[in-house]
Amino acid sequence: MSEAGLLRMRLNGHPVVAPCEPARILLDLLRDDLHLTGTKRGCDLGTCGCCTVLVDGRPTLSCLTLARLADGHDVTTIEGISPPQGLSPVQRAFVESGATQCGFCTPGFIVTATALLRDHPHPSRAEIERAIAGNLCRCTGYTKIVEAIATAAKDGA
Amino acid sequence: MHLDPFALHRPTSVDETVRLAGSLAGRFDYLAGGTDLLPNYKMHLNLRPNLIALEDVGELRGHGAGRFGAMERLAELDDDPAIRAEYPVLADAVGEVATPLVRASGTVGGNLLVETRCFFFNQSYFWRESLGFCLKADGDRCHVVPQKEKCYATFSGDLAPALMALDAEVEVAGPAGRSRRPLEALYDAAGDGIRRVHLAPGELLVAVHVPAASRGLHGRYKKLRVRPSYDFPELGVAVAGRWDGDRVASLRLAVGGVEPHPRRFDALTEPLVGSALSDDRLRALADEVMRQLRPVHNTFLLPDYRKRMIGVYVRRAVDEARRGSAS
Amino acid sequence: MNATAPPPSARLLGGRIPYVEGPLKVTGRAEYTDDIQRPGMLVGRVLRAPWPHARLVALDVSRARALPGVYAVLTGEKYPTPFGVLPITHDETAIAVGKSRYIGDIIAAVAAQDERTAEAALALIRAEVEPLPEYSDPRMGVQPVAEPIHARGLNGSNIQKEVLQHFGDVDAAFAGAAHTARVRGTFAGVTHAFTEPLVTIAESTPDGRLTVWSATQVPHYLHRALAEVLGIPMHRIRVVKPEVGGGFGGKSDPLPHEIVCAALAIETGRPVKVLFDREDVFYTNHGRHPTQNDVKIALDRDGNIVAYDIEALIDGGAWSSFGTVTTYYNGVLSMGPYRVPNFRYKGRRVYTTKPPSGAMRAHGGTNLRYSIELALDILAEETGVDPFDLRLRNALPPNSVTVNQFRITSTSFRECLEAVRAKSGWAEKFRRLPYGRGIGLGCGFYISGSNSPIHFTPKMPQSTVHLKVDMDGGIAVHSMQADIGQGSNTLLAAIVAEVVGVDLERVHVQRVDSDVSPIDLGSYSSRVTFMMGNAAKAAAESLLVPLLEAAAQLLGTTPDRVAVGHERYYRRDAPEQGVTFLEALHGAMETRGALTASGNYRSPSMGGSFKGARAGTAPAYSFAAYVAELAVDVETGEYKVEKIWAAFDCGRALNRLAVEGQIQGSIHMGLGQVMGESMNYRGARLFNPSLLEYKIPMPQQMPDVEILLVGKDDPEGPFGAKEAGEGPLIATLPAVGNALYDAIGVRFTELPITPDRVLRGLDLRAKEGRPWKGH
Ligand SMILES: Cc1cc2nc3c(=O)[nH]c(=O)nc-3n(C[C@H](O)[C@H](O)[C@H](O)COP(=O)(O)OP(=O)(O)OC[C@H]3O[C@@H](n4cnc5c(N)ncnc54)[C@H](O)[C@@H]3O)c2cc1C
Ligand code: SF4
Ligand code: FES
Ligand code: FES
Repeated sequence: MSEAGLLRMRLNGHPVVAPCEPARILLDLLRDDLHLTGTKRGCDLGTCGCCTVLVDGRPTLSCLTLARLADGHDVTTIEGISPPQGLSPVQRAFVESGATQCGFCTPGFIVTATALLRDHPHPSRAEIERAIAGNLCRCTGYTKIVEAIATAAKDGA
Repeated sequence: MHLDPFALHRPTSVDETVRLAGSLAGRFDYLAGGTDLLPNYKMHLNLRPNLIALEDVGELRGHGAGRFGAMERLAELDDDPAIRAEYPVLADAVGEVATPLVRASGTVGGNLLVETRCFFFNQSYFWRESLGFCLKADGDRCHVVPQKEKCYATFSGDLAPALMALDAEVEVAGPAGRSRRPLEALYDAAGDGIRRVHLAPGELLVAVHVPAASRGLHGRYKKLRVRPSYDFPELGVAVAGRWDGDRVASLRLAVGGVEPHPRRFDALTEPLVGSALSDDRLRALADEVMRQLRPVHNTFLLPDYRKRMIGVYVRRAVDEARRGSAS
Repeated sequence: MNATAPPPSARLLGGRIPYVEGPLKVTGRAEYTDDIQRPGMLVGRVLRAPWPHARLVALDVSRARALPGVYAVLTGEKYPTPFGVLPITHDETAIAVGKSRYIGDIIAAVAAQDERTAEAALALIRAEVEPLPEYSDPRMGVQPVAEPIHARGLNGSNIQKEVLQHFGDVDAAFAGAAHTARVRGTFAGVTHAFTEPLVTIAESTPDGRLTVWSATQVPHYLHRALAEVLGIPMHRIRVVKPEVGGGFGGKSDPLPHEIVCAALAIETGRPVKVLFDREDVFYTNHGRHPTQNDVKIALDRDGNIVAYDIEALIDGGAWSSFGTVTTYYNGVLSMGPYRVPNFRYKGRRVYTTKPPSGAMRAHGGTNLRYSIELALDILAEETGVDPFDLRLRNALPPNSVTVNQFRITSTSFRECLEAVRAKSGWAEKFRRLPYGRGIGLGCGFYISGSNSPIHFTPKMPQSTVHLKVDMDGGIAVHSMQADIGQGSNTLLAAIVAEVVGVDLERVHVQRVDSDVSPIDLGSYSSRVTFMMGNAAKAAAESLLVPLLEAAAQLLGTTPDRVAVGHERYYRRDAPEQGVTFLEALHGAMETRGALTASGNYRSPSMGGSFKGARAGTAPAYSFAAYVAELAVDVETGEYKVEKIWAAFDCGRALNRLAVEGQIQGSIHMGLGQVMGESMNYRGARLFNPSLLEYKIPMPQQMPDVEILLVGKDDPEGPFGAKEAGEGPLIATLPAVGNALYDAIGVRFTELPITPDRVLRGLDLRAKEGRPWKGH
């Protein structure tokens, strides 16, 4: 942590320096200061998963993370997961399977699912359900989300 | 929701941490994964002007050979098949904590020291102020058991009972150096929902040690909650033991999620060692544990139901552990 | 038709159409209100009343106002004009005036440079109040009370609305009945819990206009309420609806914070954002009413339903909201899916000092239906008839009229029953599964678009769609329908593409913006597919006219002889002779310039002429029959719904992907209400304003859902379609309730059915000495 109150991290593959006070929450920094609004705020208390990002590849609730602790680390948001053109296999599966309705939970699910398939390329249905049990969706009943993740796994995401 | 300002400290060694803690005595909180502390801070619960982040204290990380660093993330244990093989009761408990996303940041130490919970406490400042603050934060009386002395907030960590059943010890660093004590001695059995742990000001949890004798114990952690994810335990029963055919070779039982501290029931399990555990004796054990514990009405499910479930869960946990041992 | 051009109906509609905005949502690029930044934007915050009911004697805001960084502090007097979603029950104010009515009621608001300053300012506001009596239970308010919550309560009581209806002769029917059953249900309140919190941005500009971006599902009602309360004509207000993260009815009332935000923007001359915390969202509520109902059903000797006698006591919370409609719906939505020759209903909605209840998915339909379907199960058991046979015998026939003069056109209810009966293996399972396992049937019935539009003077069509074609054949679609995740943008685009015969990617549905979107009533009462769909179809058909004329001219024939293919118009008599869509378009543009078209939908007049006759009338109705199979742990009371067979009649399913998603999501939400969701009040205080303690089911709790779409085309729906957004929720609840009875022999009449209640039920059964399946 630099004395000047500057935070240095790699954000979506690029070095970023941002002023940041100790009490700043990572979600607030991303959305409000850096205008990366793909990461959503659903509850601010760890109870919805809409704010999920990757910190050093690990899915992390950005609403319960001090931004300063990302100093020197790699942060990847939904913007960094999305390819410059087109969609990732997980994203494509979500669209085609109807796994996104209102879409507000979707970036969080995409981040979680992307990390899941990276670590477990062939999850069972039960493993998928367990892996997404920290992401809340009020629209889909999860059925199509589970299907989409299974489809992406089958297609070798 | 923003946080009020605080100073953030990032020591890199245990010694430095303890020194810092000494100099800030009473005016700081340790920050591990933050998944318990930060929601509480966002609700303005017992704020301190300093946070000592344990993130960079390398010694607190890692697990292996019966040692679990205080800063080891629960997800690391969840992902490690050796834990399931060697300490099934712990694997059960880890997998039942919160959600996968909380486990990705939440740590072993944070889980053992998770703040006690109560419907009247885990609320926003606005909510608490509108009712009148309670003993545990900003106030002078209890809404659950109306009086002004004692807080009945519930210990709601999942790992403690499991680690107690494994006879774990905690390693603590303080101004006087390192020391070890049984995990159950970390909790203040004579205290309440506020005075709940025996940690001197500035003492730091370094690691948990599970004795070699506990490796391979058959075990089961059974957790009562409304949903299979998110929810804190309304009851958590941990059992670890060894069976020699029908005969109980060792058996330990601990329960959390009911009173202000987790409890171990050696006095009830030790007499069972050496003989077969008949259904009647198992039922008697379960009933006695149930008799000794007193849930209050400060969580989602009603206390009489939680109490009744103690009997069922103890019986099932022991039974499933035993059956696991047979297979 | 010929081989090169398949019939239009086979191209898009009826298939599985991924959402057109899906790629934006999965990449985080879809723009929701909170994603919008305006230069110099301030933070708006509200101060909430900590008292259940209090007279506001004085509010001292001077210290808040003096705090550096504070731009405005507002109290109720500045904008006291009452508003509300129904024109007849305007009883809300943006900020409390004179008194506050529940813990969480807004009593002041500030705009400040940032969140911390705003909160510091709120903490400096001092209130002097006189506490008033708390009325936390509707039973406390049915008689005249000392301090009515609103002056408009009936005869000095807290009754907001009373409905008394009687058709036929219920007493005579009961007197002559062979069998009767009675269910008294108690239902906790539940709430929408959409994932996107409530949020609004407002900006007032020097040209005298006000722009409001808001997470709303009915931009038009918001537009009206803003105009009324702020005293600004609608044409000087622009309402924009960005992407909305779920609504389920909870974003359909104009809400106080939306008006507060606009007021703060006017006061400060700066853009202001009001973003609610999750706790704020719980206090705003407008969810499903806590309800007690009493349902009595009479059967004749042959098993025909001869009468319903229904009462409902509905806990309204502090305001009216949709409550008048709720009060009617809790009775009249019993008019299907069975024939009911005699019907009496007494419904009362009573104000309480709690967060207001309002419209939530399947508004007014779930609690009533739960009690009815349980009563029918009791009757089936008593008369020794299979529950399916009882329902089949009483099914409303197509093209009939109910005793209260609802017009029923299409119904495939019979087909729904037959489909689930066969698929679920009912005959082998019902009352035959081992103790602890059970199977149950529940049915549903819901409106497909409320026939009576709220707020429409002059009376005009409920839905209008505008199309504008650019020279490269892109079609911009404007409509004020509000996609909140249900897929209405996709349907709108697909209908246009289908009719005009072009690729879906040519059609661009425009963001709702009151400056350019023609009026539509938005998303509630399951009206969008039916009404907007018909308007879109009409608009597209009108756009097709000049295109076919131009094609005919190019093909040397008359328009009626030209058929629509895929991106191609061709001669019916010589299919190989055709022109491309672009050739036809350019031909049309040469004579007419850029093309535009408009279409609308107005529902036919219907319903009786008695008081309240229009409540519940709709141009069509959906029907459902669900079977649930579950397993109960009889020692702990925990249960798992393992499978639901869901037969649903939404007419023709135009987008199967969306319909399935609506059914799955509805079942999830319905299960929540059965299994654990509740607005947990102790007295007037809400104990669980958080997503941790409000128990929305997890993925592992979802049953396997088998969807059976058996609906036949509706004669008036667009391409034969009816609603599928709300009706699919209703049958879930009684299917589970009846399956629990089959499993363990206990009738649960109090929702949610949590494990502790299951055990209590088992205890009671044991005490009564009533064995079940040998236990
Ligand atoms: C939605 C949600 C659901 C949850 N559900 C559960 C659940 O089901 N079961 C459960 O057990 N927990 C649950 N939790 C609580 C919490 O996430 C976990 O207990 C987690 O393991 C806490 O670890 P942490 O590292 O994040 O702790 P922190 O929040 O960082 O710390 C918790 C407390 O421990 C102290 N502390 C941490 N480390 C040390 C140390 N080394 N020495 C001294 N003091 C220390 C901190 O000062 C703080 O007081 C839930 C949390 C959320 C947000
Ligand atoms: S038990 Fe009593 S003192 Fe303790 S947190 Fe709850 S209300 Fe407060
Ligand atoms: S916003 Fe982080 S979990 Fe809800
Ligand atoms: S798609 Fe709306 S919350 Fe998941």
